[in-house]
Amino acid sequence: MGIQSLTKVLGDHCPNAIKSNEIKNYFGRKVAIDASMSIYQFLIAVRQDGQQLTADSGETTSHLMGIFYRTIRMVENGIKPCYVFDGKPPTLKSGELAKRLERKKEANKKLEEAQEAGLSSLSKFLAWTIQFPSCNVFYLCSGDMPNVDKYSRQTVKVTKEHNEECKKLLKLMGIPYVEAPCEAEAQCAALAKAGKVYAAASEDMDTLTFSTPVLLRHMTYSEAKKMPISEIHLNKVLEGLQFSMNQFIDLCILLGCDYCESIKGIGPHRAVELIKKHKTLEGVINNLDTKKYPIPEDWQYDEARELFRNPEVLDPNDLEIKWKDPDVDGVVSFLVREKGFNEDRVRKGVEKLSKNLKAATQGRLDNFFTQIPSNSNVSTKRKLEDKKDTTSKKTKPNGNRGRPKSGSKP
Amino acid sequence: MFEARLTQGALLKRLLDSVKELVTDANFDCSETGISLQAMDNSHVALVSLSLRSEGFNPYRCDRGFSLGVNLNSLNKIMKCAGNDDIITLKADDSSADSLCLVFESPVNERVSEYELKLMDIDQEHLSIPETDYDATILMPSAEFQRICRDLMVVSESVTIDISKDEIRFTAEGELGTGNVKLKPTSSIDKPEESITIELGQTVSLQFSLKYLTNFTRGTPLSEQVMLCLSDNMPLLVEYKMDIGYIRYYLAPKVGDE
Repeated sequence: MGIQSLTKVLGDHCPNAIKSNEIKNYFGRKVAIDASMSIYQFLIAVRQDGQQLTADSGETTSHLMGIFYRTIRMVENGIKPCYVFDGKPPTLKSGELAKRLERKKEANKKLEEAQEAGLSSLSKFLAWTIQFPSCNVFYLCSGDMPNVDKYSRQTVKVTKEHNEECKKLLKLMGIPYVEAPCEAEAQCAALAKAGKVYAAASEDMDTLTFSTPVLLRHMTYSEAKKMPISEIHLNKVLEGLQFSMNQFIDLCILLGCDYCESIKGIGPHRAVELIKKHKTLEGVINNLDTKKYPIPEDWQYDEARELFRNPEVLDPNDLEIKWKDPDVDGVVSFLVREKGFNEDRVRKGVEKLSKNLKAATQGRLDNFFTQIPSNSNVSTKRKLEDKKDTTSKKTKPNGNRGRPKSGSKP
Repeated sequence: MFEARLTQGALLKRLLDSVKELVTDANFDCSETGISLQAMDNSHVALVSLSLRSEGFNPYRCDRGFSLGVNLNSLNKIMKCAGNDDIITLKADDSSADSLCLVFESPVNERVSEYELKLMDIDQEHLSIPETDYDATILMPSAEFQRICRDLMVVSESVTIDISKDEIRFTAEGELGTGNVKLKPTSSIDKPEESITIELGQTVSLQFSLKYLTNFTRGTPLSEQVMLCLSDNMPLLVEYKMDIGYIRYYLAPKVGDE
């Protein structure tokens, strides 16, 4: 999933790029959320006793539960979410997808085995307790239950119906969504880049490779986890690595992405070193000891690179993203009548939605004033400050709003 | 070497009082010209900017610019140990400051107390605030502004400020009802501190959070008059002027759906 060990690379080379923030500090922000990723998370995480939540008819409702309550949580915190759904997968991803399918099959098989093992050990145990009724019951726990849980999570698949139901719910809730032509992360990144939203929210690190200026992780996690949101800024990532965007894309391909194979034996550390030294993937290939590190046969790195640079997305400027009043009766009839949700809770939730979407949102100072890059080690480097400030401002793309400190013209 | 001696120590107490609710940690930037501080609250909605000129201190000495990173809560605790009439001296070693020394001298007896506050490394985001020609500038008694904010807080958590040529109107709408306060420009020769003036380029109507505004009015004891500067779609500026410098608060407006 995403880019292999990119988080580690960022942690090592540009810790400044990652900031943790509480969710309540994101009020007033519009955020594009990778829906497919979130739905997948909900199907895995929203569970009771290890089982997915289901309606009376036996259909899964974990995804609707997740979308409904987590969206309300965001709206309550003043965030304006916009969901982005996956379109068709890019052809380059077929290899990766085939691998995932294989893993799912494997997990399915193991799940059955684990269930059987659990059953057989259970029946053995029952026979045994009849013989020794006073024995300790802890034995039951050592069955194969954790494995059943683990494998059943691995078999989770987001189906078309799941997606359609979520879209229907979002529409009723008045939350906008976008259907991406291809990868959702790429569309999220395009929206953020065009300034339609403040950031892209996804767990997938390749959203950064699709050049979103800001990536938010853990946005759709449950409240109970108390997980702070981590905010990653692309410009600081590039600054920290001292890479251009193209070099960063090359690095991601070298680390291992969903679209082509990577070179065996090259880990995060070596990948950064190689790109630093040779600048481009071509440079790396030409200088690599191919005996030690065999390059995959007809390696489609160039296609992958093109996909990251110019992904297939809808033009953000043609999209209209609007938050509307929720359709209370619609939501109730869908969630309560069709899916068996608790009516009181649903009504309360919808009430929160309409209240928060109407309220005027608090603006932020960062929208008005420009930030002067902070100098750490101020005390020792103070003398250089004036000089530093003016030079860093010149390199800033939106520096025209700032005021130069000592009469120098931008 | 940095040293600043302030004869009215109470001023420093009041200043600290007006900042500490908004920010917890801040850098005091000391230079030859004086001491300044700029800090935003956690959610980046409000900013406080404080400036004290070197002439206000006697004596003032600062050989080179440097920053004192201070936890305001801790500083406040220490400041509580100073008497209201005490003369306060701040001292620090500018080349390797890891603590700030505060000396409180009582003017009546020979009591001298000395405290050392450990400093912190604070990585703060500095904003550059452009000079703005505001659409509307109001001068009014600071106590009056404080009262309006406190009163309207009863009704709602936000207030709309409408300014026309001859009237300032503060309106709040909430679940229990509505409230509004109207002020007309007045001038009083005997008591200039009670006058209200409006300087208007064009009419303005903006909405702000009362929670932040009441927070700002902690600056009331610093000055008889408060200045409010507003422009459409710009942060509000609230300024309390003192003999020795100023404290300015900026607050981003609330925005309706675009």
